[in-house]
Amino acid sequence: MTRQDAQQAAYRIMVVSVVAVVVGTVASLAAIGFVEALHVLNDRLLISPYARIQMDHQPLWVMAATVLVPALGGLLVGIIVRWGVDERRGLTPADAILVVQTRQAPPRLRSGLVSSMAALLSLGSGASVGQYGPLAFLGALLGGVVGRLGLRLKNLRAIAIACGVAAAISTAFNAPIAGLVFAHEVILRHYSLRAFAPVTVAAAIGYVIDNVFFERPPLFRVNFSGIEHSYEFVLFAVEGLLCAGLAVAFIQLLLKSGRLAQRLPVPEWARPALAGLLLGIVALWIPEVLGIGQETLRFATIESAFAVHELALIVVAKLVLTALCIGFGFVGGVFSPALLIGILFGAFYGVVLPLLVPMPLSGQVVYAVCGMMAMASAVIGAPLTTILIVFELTRSYDLTIAAMVAVVFSNLVSYRVMGRSIFDIQLRERGFDLSLGRDKAILGTHPVKDFLSRQFTVARVEERAETVRERLVTERRAEAMLLDSQGCYLGTLHLQDLEAVPEDRPLRMLASTPDVLFHETTTVWESMELLQGFLGEAVPLVAADGRLLGVVPEEAVIRAYLEIIHDLRQEENEAA
Amino acid sequence: MICGRKKTKRLEWLMMTWLLCMLVLPLAAAESPPVLTVLTWGGAYEASQREAYFNPFTEASGVVIETVHYDGGLTPLREHRQGGAVTWDVVDMVQADAMAACEEGLLEPFNPGLLSAAPDGTPPEQDFIEGAILPCAITHLVFSTVLAFDDRAFAGAKPRSAADFFDLDRFPGKRALRKVPVGLLEWALMSHRVPRQQLYNLLSTRRGFDLAFRQLDQLRDQIVWWESGDQPARWLAEGKVAMASGFNGRFFYAQVMNDAPISIIWDGQLLDYNSWAVLKGTNQRALAERFIEFATRTESMAALANRISYGPARRSALRHVGLHLTSKRPMRPHLPTTEEHMASAINRDHDWYARTTALRERLFRDWLRKHFPEED
Repeated sequence: MTRQDAQQAAYRIMVVSVVAVVVGTVASLAAIGFVEALHVLNDRLLISPYARIQMDHQPLWVMAATVLVPALGGLLVGIIVRWGVDERRGLTPADAILVVQTRQAPPRLRSGLVSSMAALLSLGSGASVGQYGPLAFLGALLGGVVGRLGLRLKNLRAIAIACGVAAAISTAFNAPIAGLVFAHEVILRHYSLRAFAPVTVAAAIGYVIDNVFFERPPLFRVNFSGIEHSYEFVLFAVEGLLCAGLAVAFIQLLLKSGRLAQRLPVPEWARPALAGLLLGIVALWIPEVLGIGQETLRFATIESAFAVHELALIVVAKLVLTALCIGFGFVGGVFSPALLIGILFGAFYGVVLPLLVPMPLSGQVVYAVCGMMAMASAVIGAPLTTILIVFELTRSYDLTIAAMVAVVFSNLVSYRVMGRSIFDIQLRERGFDLSLGRDKAILGTHPVKDFLSRQFTVARVEERAETVRERLVTERRAEAMLLDSQGCYLGTLHLQDLEAVPEDRPLRMLASTPDVLFHETTTVWESMELLQGFLGEAVPLVAADGRLLGVVPEEAVIRAYLEIIHDLRQEENEAA
Repeated sequence: MICGRKKTKRLEWLMMTWLLCMLVLPLAAAESPPVLTVLTWGGAYEASQREAYFNPFTEASGVVIETVHYDGGLTPLREHRQGGAVTWDVVDMVQADAMAACEEGLLEPFNPGLLSAAPDGTPPEQDFIEGAILPCAITHLVFSTVLAFDDRAFAGAKPRSAADFFDLDRFPGKRALRKVPVGLLEWALMSHRVPRQQLYNLLSTRRGFDLAFRQLDQLRDQIVWWESGDQPARWLAEGKVAMASGFNGRFFYAQVMNDAPISIIWDGQLLDYNSWAVLKGTNQRALAERFIEFATRTESMAALANRISYGPARRSALRHVGLHLTSKRPMRPHLPTTEEHMASAINRDHDWYARTTALRERLFRDWLRKHFPEED
């Protein structure tokens, strides 16, 4: 190692460490602030059962709040998203994934903050949406701000974003290992030591802030005495398969609800209010659909807390209403609703199972937890993260092993049926396909225009063929681009076509239109596909109004491909 | 109300005695000493209070302290105030009741200026535990409602947790429970392994109440209801019940003073605070405040804690707690506020308690009516 290399490495390590600590701290504090603000809103707006019961002597107030708070909250969310967010929709972890995977420009900071505010309002007013999506996005947003500083380091943005996400998830779940793995499994999608080290630091900071500074209690302790019978693992696997079906149904409903919203003759800013109103009316009968449902999550682990028909009813209601809320424009995640639906389904499975299988079982808790994790992991496409979440939240080895089996079977099926995760599906709907790996995704977002060459021979329509031929010979090219007086592309003139032509033959008659033409939006990936079977020197690249912007030589496309792939490989294999 | 009739009877009886006294006393002594009437809880607790507070106060001021038995709640206060002249002066009430009574206008506002500083000069605002100074009351003591059992009832394994209280298979026998919706519901949910931090969130849903009452259903044939604080320790000592809920000081007193074979289950202990308040409408407000100043002095509070295992609500007094006066046992391990006991305590949510009073009473009464029709 030369002295300069060593200096460079020292600088890199220092900057990355500082970034990890700063992003980790800020994202973790932001996550705590978000969660606390959400609880305050829930209490003030009579969404949390704790606040509702204290108003028990005024049932009309509680009823009015149940119906009106989600509706008015929805109205506010609709308005600020419509006029405050450039994208005109809530931003989700999918946006962070896109930035990291394809190196696109991230959403503007203002849009991100407004979207987070909308998520807080949605959750605060009881919408049936999740908190972890907005938290992960908030972490990514803050990481992105630091990453934007540049600091003369390659790939810093992706690392900073991953740090933010890891710290936010680590804080929100009080589960640092899960936060670390989530950032890799869902956001970065590769493991390189250079990213791993800072992301670990950020996740650990989230844990420290949670436990040392704030002493927040663990989220989900359950007592479980162990799996009593080996045959139950088969039952966990079957449960996983059923949960995969449930997850697919959930995502289908989400997409359908989004499409339904588009077709309704309601302006987009008013849609969340509509969903909120419906949610509130249902909540008069089934209060469990309102909000995050921390209490319901706990009840599902207690045998005899729910009757069988209640479990089925709440599962269906929560599925439909979550799809409705998200499809109609409330801002929020899908993970916590998926946890809730999964745990209730798991409890249902645990209650029904003894009626079908005449064998002793280990009780409802383990089936509830398996269902929760199998469902949630299939929805967000993160099997490893969810297995670790079980481990860190319950600190029970037995429960983790059981959940692991259910999670893996669930993911196997859901991956086959619908793809990796809801995030990939959302991105596919927007035209970004990550299913063929990152190479394609990144080649598919880089415009070939970046590799444009201005080195080409121009022929004007009024010129004589002989002049153009001579110019080509001097410039040692075989092709000339024929342009009209405005600079619009008319066709390509090949050297052999210019040989021995009559004087008065207009150039326009000699030009041929090539098979392949690039536009400003043509991506490197598309250009590679188009170039198959192309014979010629360079492909003209034409603006929307027909003007020729330049040409892309075949060699440039190959160079583009190699550069991008080389970069990716380097990023994914970098050491500290 | 199920227990209301009994209470009214007792009240009537008390009023009669009171009236009789009022008639007879002026005849007996032409110039009788001033009398301050204090509502308190009877039994070992009141006996300790008499030694630590009442007698020294009488010695110092010449004011005689009369006590009226009080079992908590706002009903007796309301009824007394409606019944004409206010003859009760000071009330020793649990904090949640004091807060509710204050909001209802049953109490005089409390002036924190009357509190005396600690012997080392620490001002009372810093010496008293957080939240002790209330708009209408001053919190003076930490007690806890615990589960306890008769050692002789279980030869082998001993009950150790709230869940064991509900386990009739392993620990059969009668259960004495206080006939109020306090503590029962928390213990019922704890027996479902609900973490202590989440109890009041779950008890904020109808589902949580139903679940808790269903758990109590299982015990119903074994439940014996107690209403007065001295009953559970006595019944355990007599072997009338195998397990009981009760105030920790009463069990301690029975253990050390009467050698009763009683053990306390500290798991799920429900901490609470007692506060002094002055009843609105009394014409002895100044005297009442003088008494409260006396009873909340560091030495007075330490004197009480050396007699009965309730934690004083001011730090300087806690430092003065040493050996039990008669048995010479160290008092600190018996206080509900030791670190070890705090680790398994239910952190009682006073807001929840204050705002769910009516609801809890209603649900509890409905449940009683269903399962104990003979008591209605």
